[in-house]
Amino acid sequence: MSVTISPAYLLDAATGEPQAAEVWDAITERQLADFESDWKFALATAIKRLRLAGIERRNWPQTQSSHWDWRHKVDAFNGLLAKPSFSVMCQGRTQGLMIVDSLGRCKLETQKAKPLIYIDYLENAPWNRKELDCDQARITGVGQLLIRAAIELSINEGFAGRIGLHSLPQSNSFYAKTCGMTDLGVDSSKEGLKYFETTPEQSNAFIAKGESL
Amino acid sequence: MKIEYTKEWCMRMARLEDDADYPGEIGAGVVARDAKTAPVEATSEANVVFGRFVQLMRRKQGVTLEKLAEEADVEIAELVEIEDDSRHKPEPRTVYQLANHFNVPSTKLMQLAGLSAPKNTRLFDAGIRFAARSESVHTLSETERAALEAFVSVLSDRS
Repeated sequence: MSVTISPAYLLDAATGEPQAAEVWDAITERQLADFESDWKFALATAIKRLRLAGIERRNWPQTQSSHWDWRHKVDAFNGLLAKPSFSVMCQGRTQGLMIVDSLGRCKLETQKAKPLIYIDYLENAPWNRKELDCDQARITGVGQLLIRAAIELSINEGFAGRIGLHSLPQSNSFYAKTCGMTDLGVDSSKEGLKYFETTPEQSNAFIAKGESL
Repeated sequence: MKIEYTKEWCMRMARLEDDADYPGEIGAGVVARDAKTAPVEATSEANVVFGRFVQLMRRKQGVTLEKLAEEADVEIAELVEIEDDSRHKPEPRTVYQLANHFNVPSTKLMQLAGLSAPKNTRLFDAGIRFAARSESVHTLSETERAALEAFVSVLSDRS
């Protein structure tokens, strides 16, 4: 598999120091191995800590389906040109994963039926999530790198930067406020998750945000 | 596909991400959703036997909770509940998956988990004996191993 690596930077949340990072336009065996060892261990430890602290399960932070198998998903998508994937590496391990679909269609009235990049799955490493309170160094900026990658892919495909996704409930404010996406409300066909989308102008504004602050 | 990220862009956006009123959550996609965070039903009576059985079978196999979760295709959060909380009522799918993984009849494991009515008291009595002979400790002792094997034979008895 040919992988293109784009140099990037993330932020160490504790020290405020930049950390050299890489955005890969693939999920390879290396990322899958990290998911199966580091991610699962960190999540299991966080769950155990919550349990030992006597916090009732309904009050736990949302945890992604911990038995969900990225390997199975990547294997299923392997070779499908319409399902590109991305990963973010920093400090020698995987910090974020994303699989997208290049056959999506816009739902925004002004963009109706125009092609977009639909983000099938996007996840941060457990230690980067404040609520899980992991012992390991928290890195911030993973979401921005992956959203930028989806926008760049959209531009590359001739979709003018249009992207769409169904956000997990705890991530709604990230997509609405930080990314500036349009909230199209709850989609009952997708387990009640909210659907977000960007116009070309909003995607441009997202990129410009980091250049003009 | 090469992406031109400048250091300045990355730093500005990362600080924005960290400063925002947002808990580091960026998850998206239906499959990434945790369907198990809805309140779970607790049983009115403690069920020591099922949790002890799962824990000892796992230890006998020498696997961690996350490994068992992966191999049996069940939620690790629920496995923690099953082993640690005797009042937790497991979900039928979880019990079915564990029965397949441990190679014991799912109907009897359902009874043991309190999800279906027992046909007779034999299984219940065997379960009580098993729980009384096992401890929730790290090393599977010979006594525990014998208790576990005796109990599995009762579970597997087709009569």
